[in-house]
Amino acid sequence: MWLPALFLVVGILLGFLSNITIPEEYANYLSISVLAAFDTLFGGIRAHLENKFDEKIFISGFFFNVSLAALLAFLGVQLGIDLYLAAVFAFGVRLFQNLSIIRRCFMENLSKHKKLEKFKRK
Amino acid sequence: MKKKHLILVSFICLLTGIMIAVQFQSTQIPKKRDTRDLWEVRTAIQEQQKLQQSLYKQIEQTDQTIEKYDKQTEEEKLQTIKNSIENLTQEAGLTEVTGAGVVLTIEPIFVESDELQQYPSLTPDHLNRLINELNSFGAKEIAIENERITNLSPIRYVNGKTYVNNQPLPSLPIKILVLAENPKKLFDYLQVSNSKDNFAIDALDITATLEDDITLPKYDGTINVKWIKVKEIEEAGEN
Repeated sequence: MWLPALFLVVGILLGFLSNITIPEEYANYLSISVLAAFDTLFGGIRAHLENKFDEKIFISGFFFNVSLAALLAFLGVQLGIDLYLAAVFAFGVRLFQNLSIIRRCFMENLSKHKKLEKFKRK
Repeated sequence: MKKKHLILVSFICLLTGIMIAVQFQSTQIPKKRDTRDLWEVRTAIQEQQKLQQSLYKQIEQTDQTIEKYDKQTEEEKLQTIKNSIENLTQEAGLTEVTGAGVVLTIEPIFVESDELQQYPSLTPDHLNRLINELNSFGAKEIAIENERITNLSPIRYVNGKTYVNNQPLPSLPIKILVLAENPKKLFDYLQVSNSKDNFAIDALDITATLEDDITLPKYDGTINVKWIKVKEIEEAGEN
């Protein structure tokens, strides 16, 4: 369970140490991609908690979401519509939903544990 | 979680981490680049060297004063202190000063025309610009009418009147007394200064006259040093 968190930290460190910066014009795309990545990650955690985790869906979801978000932002810039807001909105709503489901799952697990302990004591 | 899944999620986490870090770095304000060319750097160095020279001179003078203190008897020490205090009060503008300098007279310009002309007044902006210019031309002491300009003199616009040292200025014409090391040079500068043009826009005329003997009044308010503190600086090599 700690491995993903560790890798996240390692990734952040790698990013900082490599000193890569992207031009300001593309910062928008990356920000939306980061959002998409978060969405996929939390979606994966949620699926795991619901015992529905599928690695193919997870991996394809990650790359597809990230590239779709960037594409949408690009299209928005070309057409003069702030289309990336659509992506921000969609991912934002999904993020909150996923988080609330994750929270609920944890709560249920916790209450189950308590009930089990009570049962054992009796 | 299966091992394969765990590695997969970890890999995605790694990618996400890198993306976050890059994004974070990109949104931070980039460092300002030094775009000066060789000549600009050289002149900057020269300026710093000049500053260094003058600082060395100051250090030398202070060292001499300290030496005097060390060598002298009690009475002489007292005299040295008195001398320093006198010097300082003179520098702060707390004494009357007499010397050669320039007298500026600011008068309104009247134009013969059918349009109604308002009597012009002197604004703090005018005065600030003029004082800055005078200082850059080598003025040592400045007084506006009866108000001596010290380092802390405020020039403000209050209710349609210009206040210097919290005293309202009389209406035009106004006299500005300026002492300088080299009054002739200051006088020459003033003949071609920008202020003349700027004042003319607002119908004000500056006339300068050289005089050998002008007396500047002393600053007779109290100098508020409540917020002035001695700055403790660690000197190089102290530790």
